Amino acid sequence: MKKDSIAYVVAFTFVACAAFIAPLALANEGTKGRVEANRLFASRSAVLRAFGVAYEGQADAEAKYASLVAELPGGRGWRAELDGASYLAVKRSGAGLWGTITMVVAADARGERLRGLEILDQQETPGLGGRIDEAWFKEQFRGERLGPAGVVVDQAGTGKGDPDRENGRVDAVTGASRTSGFVQAIVNAAVAEIRAAGGSK
Amino acid sequence: MPDAPAISPLVLFLASVLTSNILLSNFLGTCSFISISKDWKSSFGLGLAVTLVIGLCAAICWAVLYLVVIPLGIEYLSFVVFIIVIAAVVQVLEMVIDRFSPALYLSLGIFLPLITVNCAVLGAVLFMQIRKYDFVQSVAFGFGSGAGWWLAIMLLAAIRKRIENNPVPAGLKGTGITLITIGFMAMAFIGFSGMIAVQ
Amino acid sequence: MKGKSAKILKDGLWANNPIFVQVLGICSTLAVTNNVRNTLIMAAGVTFATALGSLTLSAIKGLIPRKVRMIVQVLVLSFYVILVDIVLRAYAPAVSKQLGPYVGLIITNCILMGRAEAFAAANPPWPSFVDGLANGLGYGLVLLCIAVVREFLGFGSVLGIRLVGDWFTPWTIMIMAPSAFFLVALALWGAKSYNARAEARRKAASAAARPAPSGAAK
Repeated sequence: MKKDSIAYVVAFTFVACAAFIAPLALANEGTKGRVEANRLFASRSAVLRAFGVAYEGQADAEAKYASLVAELPGGRGWRAELDGASYLAVKRSGAGLWGTITMVVAADARGERLRGLEILDQQETPGLGGRIDEAWFKEQFRGERLGPAGVVVDQAGTGKGDPDRENGRVDAVTGASRTSGFVQAIVNAAVAEIRAAGGSK
Repeated sequence: MPDAPAISPLVLFLASVLTSNILLSNFLGTCSFISISKDWKSSFGLGLAVTLVIGLCAAICWAVLYLVVIPLGIEYLSFVVFIIVIAAVVQVLEMVIDRFSPALYLSLGIFLPLITVNCAVLGAVLFMQIRKYDFVQSVAFGFGSGAGWWLAIMLLAAIRKRIENNPVPAGLKGTGITLITIGFMAMAFIGFSGMIAVQ
Repeated sequence: MKGKSAKILKDGLWANNPIFVQVLGICSTLAVTNNVRNTLIMAAGVTFATALGSLTLSAIKGLIPRKVRMIVQVLVLSFYVILVDIVLRAYAPAVSKQLGPYVGLIITNCILMGRAEAFAAANPPWPSFVDGLANGLGYGLVLLCIAVVREFLGFGSVLGIRLVGDWFTPWTIMIMAPSAFFLVALALWGAKSYNARAEARRKAASAAARPAPSGAAK
């Protein structure tokens, strides 16, 4: 069969595609379980971090999740009993600058103080809005007192992290005013949801 | 589309040109950017072609993704599918331009087939997939990314013309000083952040 | 045979370094270098795909009909890149998320196609493998140097391990896009100047050794 004949070209392309796509299909099937497990772990460990529960490794995280966290009926969120007090966490999505920002926000059951938050997914500009995923930004929310509307993300802050937990304010990411504003909106919507749910046990 | 973010296509368009320029913020499409920006006219032609290609590819790849790839469950093959679609779009565009404007075809010359491997095109498509944009958003994002790239290459070509005869150290001549220039442009574009009002 | 492989290795690492000399693969270079861990993984991915891609393409180059050469190249290179993506998604999901679309973009990384066209299309499989490996490593080394600078100055850490105390004010510019452009330019400057001086010294030495003028090489 001549190398440049139509028949050879078609046959070769067919065989080549099959030869390369088959292993990929196998690899994909073979790793599906793991990918799903990863997704579940990411979600659960985020909930633990929002609740401020430390863990060492995946097994420890699964164990702590199983013993400390209860899922609310209807997938509405999670409850945890920590240090003798009851805390609620909800997953909340909202518009970001580029795509949807999804986070888990935890607060005490009456919605008076934030327990913590964790960002599950964001598509903001790396180096700017993307910095909302950095530790210093997220730590500001831990134990922050909540006003009637929730927390205020302060655009005029130092941009280094507000250590004051009583003023109900956290610093925005410098230069990322839009993204910081979106975070405020999502956090406060989550707080409203927790306050509504916290009434009924 | 249930998962699509609630962002207006117009805002997306403006944002991809200015605040999150596909080249100056996301580093995509740098290779041909550096080599072609030596010449003002080629930069214009290439920028136009890239804008068309990214816009069309974003639209077509969206359709292929949500009408073929996902229903068939072959998302892990999406890279290959996208590249093939991009190559096909570029091929067809070449033929169309040749048919309707031979002058433009001649001036674009070799740049058209080169667009197939321009990371900006595949990059924009992948961003569209990851961010789960709906069709209108994808088109706006695609044309916006292309326009942003076009704007950036025009600006760079202009600056390079200006500094053509400046005394640049030997080690920096050519690529080096171009990269530094791009760095300054990127810094300047950061100034746009916060400008676009959403909702 | 060993000598030849060594030469190909040295070529890819320095003399014909993809970033300094060929000016290829700049796109993903810049995007992931604000973080050493992601850079290492990206470099490993590029090296893996380039080396094995070149090997495969060289091995089947006798069978590929001319008409579909480009498509087959894309197919083979995509195959290895998708493998990298699947493995990352399964075994390093956090990294996979951070790298985002840049893993898929390895396919359009000019280094892969460039080496396939320039070397694998005309050389036997083993040298092609070494060439791909060398180019990947050369690329990785440059990325690593840039990443160490960017992560250290931008976060005060390397590989996530904090190296300086609180007195250090991080250079936020290092986390953002422009710094990558500046650093690659500086690295390019350094490499070119070094090579130029080494070349001048070599020419001076050979001119002194032989009175007859020798033609300049590169």
